[in-house]
Amino acid sequence: MARGLADVLHYFVAETPVAEPTGAATPAARRPILGVPLAGRDVVRAALAWNLAVEAARLGVRSTLVAPSAADAASLWPDAGKGPLGAELIVTFAEDLAELAAAAQSTSASPEETFDDGGLVVVHVPPPWIEKAPAPLPLLRHVLLFASPERSDLAQTYSLLKRCVAAGAERIGVTIHGVRSVIEAEEAFLRLARASERHLGRPIESYGLLVDDLNVYRSIVSRRPIGLTHPHSPAARALRDVANLLVGDLRGGAFD
Amino acid sequence: MTDVRLVPAPGRQALRAAVRSRLADLGLGLRVVAEGILGADGPIDLVALDPDGGVVLVLLAAEGADLELPGRGLAQRSWVEARLGDWQQLSPRLGLTPHAGVRLLLIAPDFGPQALAAARALGPAVAGLATVRCVRNGSAIQVLLERIRSTAAPSGRSADDGTPSSRFRSGLGDSDLSLTPDERRDLE
Repeated sequence: MARGLADVLHYFVAETPVAEPTGAATPAARRPILGVPLAGRDVVRAALAWNLAVEAARLGVRSTLVAPSAADAASLWPDAGKGPLGAELIVTFAEDLAELAAAAQSTSASPEETFDDGGLVVVHVPPPWIEKAPAPLPLLRHVLLFASPERSDLAQTYSLLKRCVAAGAERIGVTIHGVRSVIEAEEAFLRLARASERHLGRPIESYGLLVDDLNVYRSIVSRRPIGLTHPHSPAARALRDVANLLVGDLRGGAFD
Repeated sequence: MTDVRLVPAPGRQALRAAVRSRLADLGLGLRVVAEGILGADGPIDLVALDPDGGVVLVLLAAEGADLELPGRGLAQRSWVEARLGDWQQLSPRLGLTPHAGVRLLLIAPDFGPQALAAARALGPAVAGLATVRCVRNGSAIQVLLERIRSTAAPSGRSADDGTPSSRFRSGLGDSDLSLTPDERRDLE
């Protein structure tokens, strides 16, 4: 059978070695980062943020919460490391927003794992650091704020919202906590939304409501998530609902 | 080209007169029979009759004062209801039909969620809502009246009318948040 040049070329020309797979990973998929401004002594909101991370993990999202140790982390958070349902707490020695952003970026990328199931890095951001932000940072691209329906608290939350917008936040979510009814939460959210749209030209995203439930405080004292200790309580139901909204948006690409 | 722009509302009397002149725009067939009469601890901006002879009390609120309207309205409504028989005697040719009842037409530049919720609670048989905006067209000021046709919860309205476009989301109802009064009674 006649042979073509390709069949004999190797006798005359050194074969070009075929590149072997190097084993190097494709560019690492990064988990979205959600900045959560929390004051240093705000144990209630810290508990809410941690419980949300646990509920997101329950929904199959790899959740990590990154907190700076400078913000008196010991009083705010449970023990560092892998926690319930795989939700992880990492305490970093960041001393300013840039260092915290670097820690968050490092946490969000993990070349040895893929995140087909979705993932999220929640970052505790001390509000005073936001004012000193040198430039828009990916850390503050997506922000979640907690606000109670109290007028003074709404005013403070609006002030924080304004600072986040100035620091480059593109998407700002708000969860209203400490409410006793859905209408109370809705009215508080719409009040904040009206102010944001009217004065900052920015809509805000609603992430539901969290209730003023004794179990929130029990969770703080016991350092265990409400969803596991009191799964049928109104607080747990509300946390699951907020987590559903968050994870739904995450999987819908809102944090891309 | 004439500069057309929104301007703040004029003083109360001027606004009342302007609203009275444009009330027909609302398509309710109202006929104004009195203006600025003293009712329950305050004036009733306009008293009108609908095509059935029912009394409609028109109350105006300034910017930011929308929430007081439902309360004011209920007080004035109660005051007028008690006097319909007297009004009928004083002016039998007015066309008033006492058994047709008293309704409210609440008009403000903007209605916040609490005021809307209060109006929802009153129901459309008791209260209707309308917004008023003042427009300067050249040298003249005109009022634009627009009914809020549904007192259902707003969704996705643009921010142009002061209602935020941001929508509240929750998969929960009040029953998810706490025990109902009946449940609480059974357990106590």
